[in-house]
Amino acid sequence: MSGFRILVGCKRVIDYAVKVRVKPDKTGVVTEGVKHSMNPFDEIAVEEAVRMKEKKLASEIIAVSCGPQQCQETLRTALAMGVDRAIHVITEPKEYESMQPIHVSKILSKIATEEKADLVIVGKQAIDDDCNQTGQMTASLLDWPQATFASKIEKSNGDLSVMREIDGGLETIKVKVPAVLTSDLRLNEPRYATLPNIMKAKKKPLVTKKPSDYGVDITPRQEIVSVEDPPVRQAGQKVESVEELVTKLKEAGLV
Amino acid sequence: MPIGFTPLLLRCSSVELNSARRWFCSVSSNSEQLRQLIRTHTEVTRDHMTPEIQLHLITPRCSLWSAKGDDAPFTDPFWAFYWPGGQVLSRFVLDRPRLFHNKTVLDVGSGCGASAIASKLSGAHTVCANDTDPVALEAIKMNCELNGVYLDTSSDYVIGSKIGDWDVVFLGDMFYDSDFADLFNQWLPRLSRSGVNIYVGDPGRLPLVNHPLKRNLVSLFRCPLPENCLRENSGMSTGTVWKYTG
Repeated sequence: MSGFRILVGCKRVIDYAVKVRVKPDKTGVVTEGVKHSMNPFDEIAVEEAVRMKEKKLASEIIAVSCGPQQCQETLRTALAMGVDRAIHVITEPKEYESMQPIHVSKILSKIATEEKADLVIVGKQAIDDDCNQTGQMTASLLDWPQATFASKIEKSNGDLSVMREIDGGLETIKVKVPAVLTSDLRLNEPRYATLPNIMKAKKKPLVTKKPSDYGVDITPRQEIVSVEDPPVRQAGQKVESVEELVTKLKEAGLV
Repeated sequence: MPIGFTPLLLRCSSVELNSARRWFCSVSSNSEQLRQLIRTHTEVTRDHMTPEIQLHLITPRCSLWSAKGDDAPFTDPFWAFYWPGGQVLSRFVLDRPRLFHNKTVLDVGSGCGASAIASKLSGAHTVCANDTDPVALEAIKMNCELNGVYLDTSSDYVIGSKIGDWDVVFLGDMFYDSDFADLFNQWLPRLSRSGVNIYVGDPGRLPLVNHPLKRNLVSLFRCPLPENCLRENSGMSTGTVWKYTG
């Protein structure tokens, strides 16, 4: 078997279409009974790995998810999209609430080493915390090059040529393998799992591990002080002239 | 579809797997209702590697193709798909009739029954399509009728058992599960020693590619898989028929 062995991170998040509600005690958002699905950027990462397998650039794909029991549904989706096997790193629901990218990246880097992965592909950020840290931290822990916000990935003489979305436009870089990549929106459009693939996915291996199996301590390094709704937008005022604006500003004591 | 039937089935699909199957068995003393369900959810197609054989399959044109699995009226309908390992095996059987003429053939995990039907068309004397799913056996009977062949069916769990009476045993796309690969590793040497010719059809599934069992397999036939297989099989593009030796 030649091709890359790819590790893909899949986070289970509240579905993008759900209206998120803050808990009355302001400790977090309501997750009980709320629809969850795979982080959309991670779906794009899985899709890219599967396409690389179809192009014979990759020979095996392993999906990893950290969190409570329900993460296995997320992993089954990844398996149904074409991933070969899955690793569920299980945590208690309470521990998961305080889990941070630093913990996940430590786990991913340990798994990447153990599984002898050639590539780690994760979504650029999760839609619940918008951290945009896991890919970068994982690369640093592994001392691997990173190509983040990827919108195109091509093989180039044993290395990878990656087009990145940056503020100024598009930048193309060459990265040596092994490397960490993070997927951006325009990288691809993920496939829907069809019934035959959902059925096949049930037979693919899914193992459960604990963070301690990888020597990772998931004690929180941060404490969430409060979670609140964004402030309700105040009504504005329209003024007819510059003189009126200056008057209003003086009245408000701002000039 | 008979109105009273569907709601019962949908309630049944949320009940434990085996209970649903037992329910099917009891209702199918008149199997016409089951057949009607199969006809409703599948289409008769020749769009695969063995167009000589018509089969009732769930295709992209059927609504169940995009079902989530929980809302399908059948539990794990493996029989409703013509898996690529089975396709390449059936193609081989139709192309090499001399190997199967007048022989007795057991197709283990027969699914849609295509490989069993192919061996009948190639002149096999006695053929048995074996599958532990009773719905599969009904689908196989319907597929036999479509193709004007008759063969026996059986729902016994045969993997690991003594079945040295057969000339030929087929394993069409059975290596999707590494547990199965281990079971076969125990069973196939015993079968082979009792004189059975074992043919395996596989599209390159990892549990087989990586398994020590592979050392005992000799490649007899290799064929590129058609477009509709590629789309559903993320990277596997060649089907191989192997003969077990040893």
